[in-house]
Amino acid sequence: MDTGMNEDTRKFRIRHEPTPKRGPWYFLTGLILGFLLGLIYTWWINPVIYESTHPASLRNDYKAVYRSTIAQVFAETGNLERASLRLDLLNDENPVYALGAQAQRALADGRGEEAHDLALLASVLQIGSAPLDAAQPTEPILSATSTIQVIPTQTLPLPTPTSE
Amino acid sequence: MRRKTRRWGFFLLATLVGLAVGIAFGWLILPVQYTSTGLHTLRVDYKTDFVLMVAELYHHQGDAAMALARLRYLRETSPLDIVQEAIAYAEAHRYAPGDLQMMRNLSSAIQDLPLEWD
Repeated sequence: MDTGMNEDTRKFRIRHEPTPKRGPWYFLTGLILGFLLGLIYTWWINPVIYESTHPASLRNDYKAVYRSTIAQVFAETGNLERASLRLDLLNDENPVYALGAQAQRALADGRGEEAHDLALLASVLQIGSAPLDAAQPTEPILSATSTIQVIPTQTLPLPTPTSE
Repeated sequence: MRRKTRRWGFFLLATLVGLAVGIAFGWLILPVQYTSTGLHTLRVDYKTDFVLMVAELYHHQGDAAMALARLRYLRETSPLDIVQEAIAYAEAHRYAPGDLQMMRNLSSAIQDLPLEWD
């Protein structure tokens, strides 16, 4: 019986066997691609912009400006409570050390007055945080008329008095 | 042919779903954390406190130009606006009269100076 199929036709039919199912890989690929595009958009192209930040999140140089301003205000007003509250905002691990280190940098850069103010606040804070000896008088460290003495610490050199 | 079209449709749908999940993740769950911000990004109460510090320094030193230079760190459109906003915030939150007065004095002082930002 002639079926109308020669050798070539048979081969052709074999090639048209149904392709095996690929599974939902295309769906997963789409999900991953979309997720990655979403991340690229939100992390690089259009990230969340913070407009109400805390002083602790400031860049180090701005923290230094903030710290220095606190120290200068303290040197003018002698208001230790306010200075301490403001310094707390910077979340420094050791505020005295941070002030001392910045004072040293300011001194090295030739900003003697700023270094003095920073060292002054560091010294007063250190005295304030030290346990009081029972024999010591319990007078306030600062008063409106008192002259503030800078007490050197291990990390701070005494600021050299300027001839202003 | 129909199967291929359907597959593309599902692929696009999956991409859109992934995109939505990615955006939610990147904005809400794990947004970029900036740890190096400038003073201009501070919350209004901290900005007000910075302005108060500048006002305190101006009160004791009387140097308006230096006060202006310090306000420059806040990088707003106008230093006068910064001080006015700070005064408004301080009034609303009942700052001490002395502090308010110092900020008002600062505001008056910088009004007389050239106020262009670089």
